[in-house]
Amino acid sequence: MPTLRIDQREISVPQGTKVIEAAEKLGIMIPRFCYHPALGSLGACRMCAVKFMEGPVKGVEMSCMVEAADGMVVSTTDPEAMEFRRYVIEWLMLNHPHDCPICDAGGQCLLQDETVSGGHGLRRYQGLKRTFEDQYLGEFVQHEMNRCIHCWRCRRFYQEFAGYFDYGAMQIGNRMYFGRFAPGPLESPFAGNIIDLCPTGVLTDKPSRYKGRRWDLQRGPSLCLHCSLGCNLVGSARYREMIRVEARFHGAVNGYFICDRGRYGFAYANHPDRPRQARVGEEAAPLDQALKTAAQRLGQIRERYGPGAVAAWGSTRSSLETLGMLQWLCQDQGWRGPQFFPQASLARRVKAAVARLDTGMAVSLRDLENADFIVVAGADPVQEAPMLALALRQAARRGATVAVIDPRPVFLPLEYEHLPVSPGDIDLCLNLLSQAARSEEAATGKLEPDAARFYGLLTSTNLEDPLLQERLLALGRKLQDCLRPVIVCNTDMVRETTPARAADQARLLQADKGQAGLFYLLPGPNAYGAALLAGREEVDLLAAMEQGGVKALVVVENDPLGSCPDQERLLRALDNLELLVGLDYLPSATAARSQIFLPTTTVFEKEFSHFINQEGRLQQAVPLHQGGTPIIQVGQGSHPPRTFLDAIPGGEPRPGAGILADLAAALSGEPAPPTAGDLWDYLSGEHEGFSQLASLTASALGEGVHLLPAEAQEPAWSPEPGEKPPEPPAGQLELLLVDQTFGTEELGSYAAPLQKVEEEPHLLLHTDLAADLGLAPGEQVALLLPGGEVTVRLQTAQNMAPGVAIMPRHRRLHWQKTGDGPVWLPPENIKKLSEPL
Amino acid sequence: MEPRRNFLAAAWEGLGELVRGFATTFIHLFRRPITEAYPEYHRPLPERSRARIILTRDPDGDERCVACYLCSGVCPVSCISMQSSQREDGRRFASWFRINFARCIYCGLCEEACPTLAIQLTPHFETCQYDILTLVAEKEDLLVDHGGKNRDYNFYRHAGVTAVGGKGEHLQEAKPVNRRSNLP
Repeated sequence: MPTLRIDQREISVPQGTKVIEAAEKLGIMIPRFCYHPALGSLGACRMCAVKFMEGPVKGVEMSCMVEAADGMVVSTTDPEAMEFRRYVIEWLMLNHPHDCPICDAGGQCLLQDETVSGGHGLRRYQGLKRTFEDQYLGEFVQHEMNRCIHCWRCRRFYQEFAGYFDYGAMQIGNRMYFGRFAPGPLESPFAGNIIDLCPTGVLTDKPSRYKGRRWDLQRGPSLCLHCSLGCNLVGSARYREMIRVEARFHGAVNGYFICDRGRYGFAYANHPDRPRQARVGEEAAPLDQALKTAAQRLGQIRERYGPGAVAAWGSTRSSLETLGMLQWLCQDQGWRGPQFFPQASLARRVKAAVARLDTGMAVSLRDLENADFIVVAGADPVQEAPMLALALRQAARRGATVAVIDPRPVFLPLEYEHLPVSPGDIDLCLNLLSQAARSEEAATGKLEPDAARFYGLLTSTNLEDPLLQERLLALGRKLQDCLRPVIVCNTDMVRETTPARAADQARLLQADKGQAGLFYLLPGPNAYGAALLAGREEVDLLAAMEQGGVKALVVVENDPLGSCPDQERLLRALDNLELLVGLDYLPSATAARSQIFLPTTTVFEKEFSHFINQEGRLQQAVPLHQGGTPIIQVGQGSHPPRTFLDAIPGGEPRPGAGILADLAAALSGEPAPPTAGDLWDYLSGEHEGFSQLASLTASALGEGVHLLPAEAQEPAWSPEPGEKPPEPPAGQLELLLVDQTFGTEELGSYAAPLQKVEEEPHLLLHTDLAADLGLAPGEQVALLLPGGEVTVRLQTAQNMAPGVAIMPRHRRLHWQKTGDGPVWLPPENIKKLSEPL
Repeated sequence: MEPRRNFLAAAWEGLGELVRGFATTFIHLFRRPITEAYPEYHRPLPERSRARIILTRDPDGDERCVACYLCSGVCPVSCISMQSSQREDGRRFASWFRINFARCIYCGLCEEACPTLAIQLTPHFETCQYDILTLVAEKEDLLVDHGGKNRDYNFYRHAGVTAVGGKGEHLQEAKPVNRRSNLP
């Protein structure tokens, strides 16, 4: 621990810390452009010059390039260093254009701040300014290369940190150019981060271009709801419109960065068709009145058919408050439900995963970066939870081995081993990997009795493909020498046994090596909370509705018509209802079908909300504004109307929890529902996973709390790890419904910027299989599913499992025709419709 | 305690002052008045006096305002609001721009902040209205067809961005770097 003095203050820092970091720990921000904590030092901008008075280095040096050492005395305010920095700013500004008023970075520009604070005002040099041609870089990033000061941050992030290579540096010296070889959209789904990183206005945010200056924005800490990782955001709103979202640093979750889905998905909150008015039948009504009507009609149904005739259906995108209140309402009123997942099998998988997490096992994204062997089972990180791919890349950069066991043609921006096996074989692969990772005698000698018994039960059936088998065993041998392995497992398209098996293997590794991690991906930002609330009992509302036992359904921030895999059955079931009450903030099909509709607010509006991410971290989203129709929509692009109102136009929607509480009060005739504080107490009694909630302080909530139990709820090993899950009938294809980075995720599919970049949906088949069927890529094919026909364009891939057909749950594809569980199709069900385009 | 003054002397002194005052007033009856009869007479005010705000145009006749939000940011009474957006030709402009003159204190900070010389205060100070809403001026009420106090300045000629003029065609700019050539 070297100890040094910076500006007469002493500090001890770990070995290897740069002086600029040490100063930051003292609260001294040394001016910088190229240095960034996540990207490290470069020494390109010369801005962080300080004077070293004593110690191993003497004179003016770059504080980002010098490691702190014992006996150093550093002055950041020495006249010589200040003079040096003044000249640096002056020469960085030589070529910088005179366009701050029309630059979106103005007001949030590091170069502007440091120019002003350094006192540089007049350009003394009278020569010509250097110029560059700009490029089209896609729908997210605006390029204005004249403003560049050559700090290299964008290129270092894009290539080194994120692992994509279509954007980089060209030319030399003063003519250095940052861009692509040819104009075109940036390929990386993390491209938006170079906007945050750019210290000036070379790379600015395109969707929010010219929409407002930083000082005019209502900004606040928020959360990303576009997958289960729970990345931290700073949201910005202006004139009741969500303008922009940036990454917010969280040491354990997302670090300094977020993916483009999280960055541009927020636009659902500004959707022009977003329902902001309560509705009874076809008539718009004030929210209070619609609420009363809903309570009255729900009361009538309860009287006529009993309380079990009313059911509630929530979703994993609601805040913990809304989910908790819905649960409370169901218990209080004796309603059926609530159900939180679109299908029963998914609920079982998520519950199995959540029940196996505890403090000893769960790892955060940050821990994952420090792992040395990562098995990704049944997950395609870039498509499902992009920030996971970025964390995997950091692990790989530190030397970790990454093995992906997934039927899809997985792409990761790093070196990885991909084993394309069908979902039914993932369990087997995990078993084989485990077996190969330790020799028999080592296993039986060292392991605890329980673990050893489990190890003994592992089967040694081989994979069909000997090549895959060999690669898997080689990986297993590599795993033998690893110290910090992590198993990443998804809950989406895998077999029901897989989440539990992944946990078993992680525990086996833990028993073997003393350290191992488990990392699940869950469906939705609050799936962890929903799984805890759902408890052990199974609710199948669809079956109950079909049998006619349910007469009224309350759908809360959920769109079953979009997410339920069997739409025809759902429509029949909905026809049996006498009343459908919808609460939502999206213009969804279910919202449109509701007989009584009550508008709710998004995570950005009105009240605090909390979400639990996939590793059990409770995090808080702060409201940014008070809701209402954006002024740009009220004024239709022109100036806002010149009228005075006593309420915010379109400001009626309220948080789902509040509406449900009022509904409960109207139903029981007394103002009894729990307030926010009581709700925490109620939840902490409801499930032991929530037991910490009752004693949380406000500041702890702001930082995020890990709600994991010390001991997993489901500590038992799987009884029969050798058992093979059901296999497809011979010669049939398994249809896998999967996610894509853009286009399948519910909230993001309502966001205009993401709609512009989403890929066209396509059916993916193995190249050989397509050739056998006489199909060529690009052809339009008809896919005959149990619930009807889907027309989709065909694509083929070589690096995918042979026995599967892969289709995204794309918003432009009518995929809801499959039913629950694995779908097996005879290959004849894929028919050619047209020639390739 | 102050010695008591003679009452008569004090009265005499007071009377004297009274007569002098009336005399001064009487003399002024025959002098040329220095006041002006407003509103019959409008005094020409200096060009830099600060009253009603206008949005001027550049020498090419295009709007100078780029809606950079500096005037609204600096306004101490928050009477300026606007929405910036991009015109089809790439120029940044205000899709709406509103000044609430009922709130304006004519401090001139907006004019000082304006980097394009678009917003200017004029000597026209007669803005009284019966209806307060008529004091809310929109962009079409503010925009004039001249350059105001400085008729020559054109921000975009200096800006160095392609919205007006190509790369390298602005004042004091070199031709764009050819990034496919290593020649100096």
